Amino acid sequence: MKLIDADKLTDLAAALARAGYRVVAPIDDSGVVRLKEWAEGAAIRTDAVPVNSAKDFLFPPSEIIGRWDLDGDDFTPRDVQPDAPKTVLLAVRPCDAAALTLLDTVFNWDYKDEFYNARRQAATVVPMVCTAADEQCFCTSVGGAPDATAGADAMLRPADGGTTLILEPLTDKGNVLLDAAGPALAEGDAVADPPVEIPRRFDVEAVTEWLSRNFESDLWPAISLACLGCGACAYACPTCHCFDIQDEATRRESVRLKNWDSCGFGLFTLHAGGHNPRPDQAARWRNRVMHKFSYIPERFKLLGCTGCGRCARVCGAGMSMSEVCRLIADETKKAPTHES
Amino acid sequence: MDVDRLRQDAAALLADGRARMVIGFRDRAGDRVPAFITDAEQAGELVYDEACRQNLAAYLKKAELARFRPVAIVARPAVMRSLVLLAAEAQVADADVLVLGVSDDDEYHGILDLAATAALLNEKYAEMPHDPDLVKRIEEISAMTPEERSTFWTEQFARCTRCYACRAACPMCYCTQCIVEKNVPQWISTAAAGHGNYAWNIIRAFHLAGRCTECGACEAACPQGIPLMLLNVVLARDVEEEFGIKVGYDAEAEPVIGSWSPDDGEDFIR
Repeated sequence: MKLIDADKLTDLAAALARAGYRVVAPIDDSGVVRLKEWAEGAAIRTDAVPVNSAKDFLFPPSEIIGRWDLDGDDFTPRDVQPDAPKTVLLAVRPCDAAALTLLDTVFNWDYKDEFYNARRQAATVVPMVCTAADEQCFCTSVGGAPDATAGADAMLRPADGGTTLILEPLTDKGNVLLDAAGPALAEGDAVADPPVEIPRRFDVEAVTEWLSRNFESDLWPAISLACLGCGACAYACPTCHCFDIQDEATRRESVRLKNWDSCGFGLFTLHAGGHNPRPDQAARWRNRVMHKFSYIPERFKLLGCTGCGRCARVCGAGMSMSEVCRLIADETKKAPTHES
Repeated sequence: MDVDRLRQDAAALLADGRARMVIGFRDRAGDRVPAFITDAEQAGELVYDEACRQNLAAYLKKAELARFRPVAIVARPAVMRSLVLLAAEAQVADADVLVLGVSDDDEYHGILDLAATAALLNEKYAEMPHDPDLVKRIEEISAMTPEERSTFWTEQFARCTRCYACRAACPMCYCTQCIVEKNVPQWISTAAAGHGNYAWNIIRAFHLAGRCTECGACEAACPQGIPLMLLNVVLARDVEEEFGIKVGYDAEAEPVIGSWSPDDGEDFIR
């Protein structure tokens, strides 16, 4: 098997960068662990879940998808190609990789998103098995696991008490990456460490079942009291994929942009006539939960949440998807309602 | 701090109807998150320590909570200043809000109305020293050339994803339609990039000049770690020097940006 010392992950990054990969890894950024492009000298940190998710590199916060030259009343379209360099998502989390199954599905459901697909095809995904977790982690409650391989081209497995990493290829892309890593990897034997045990925090099937009959519920205003209506949770989420199309023009040029958007914002559903069908955070949180645990499962037979816990870690107001799901699951344990 | 007294006071306010909701903090697996207590028997859930940094006065702008007024809010001195300033800007009436006052150094001040809150602030918290590290960084940035300073902020703002967590966390960002939501036509680029990020962050800071009570909630809420307090504190200091006003100490004071004088020394304003 292919091994690398756990403290030599930057050597692997350097080897892959030399081989022509844009290396995206969890980097210490002024004390914050952030997924970003690795450059010589940057420290890779695998001891905390990065504040952002891997989706940033497949579906960036803002992307130009069209361009026109303007000259008076005339306009000339210009070719816009996706910016899709060969990329490795190195030492990301299994919950990041799991999210790609949903993003692949949603960006190819009716319209094939050429920008997402170009970036996705150019990406090799190498998650690292989690041997530690925090209170916000809940992958095991949503069908995931700290050593899940969904969406992965190769896995990094901590071994020999965290001193070594096993790099195990899973796909052709993974094999190509192993070849590119070359001498950064050693041949040898090591014993993989057990993945961290993450307690199951709620029964997700009970959540989905409750949602199917509780579009109207007193629980929605109750669970959304703390939400102040920003987009931090959606933007940190590895599966949230809503965007807004905006045209921006000067006198000489117009660009069409695909910008991240969030259902937590009031503007998201504000109609031109002034009516807002989701007038408050109760309605917006209902949509957030329904989308992830009812609409997406119904349409794609997938969950819209991978249990990474980023939403709760970044929330400045203490909202937590796992806590909300636990409260919903608790509802189902109460006495049956009269409707049954 | 004497959390038991805080809990007893919260329970008493709810029991006798002086407050319909107490907004404080609870513990969630070690995190401090907001608690919305409407039943005196739940007041035991309240906790308080130095980890409770969110500015709970921000909940006064949330329309869904208006029906729970009068509301009692657990407030440290910077949050008390937010409440006094909201009163000065006619966003909250005396009858709407009570304060459960806590100091930054483990003292409990009890139940206060807004007048008593202002009196306490003037008596005990007239001077609120800045974090020395923050002062040092402001000095470093002030010593930069304009080009260096522009580069510094361009790099900081490049991380902004336009999630507006800073706006959400701030009690003073209460506009029902924020400038970034003016979209017919779009006033400011909403792309999380370049000039739009610069415009958003500078306009946010400008709109809080003479209105920021330096609670730090915006910076704490920023998932990207953008040092927003460097901007806020400089603007607050400029307002203090130019207008002789420290905001949030007088509920009768005219807002700096919302007032003018026919005797103003500047021509452009007349």
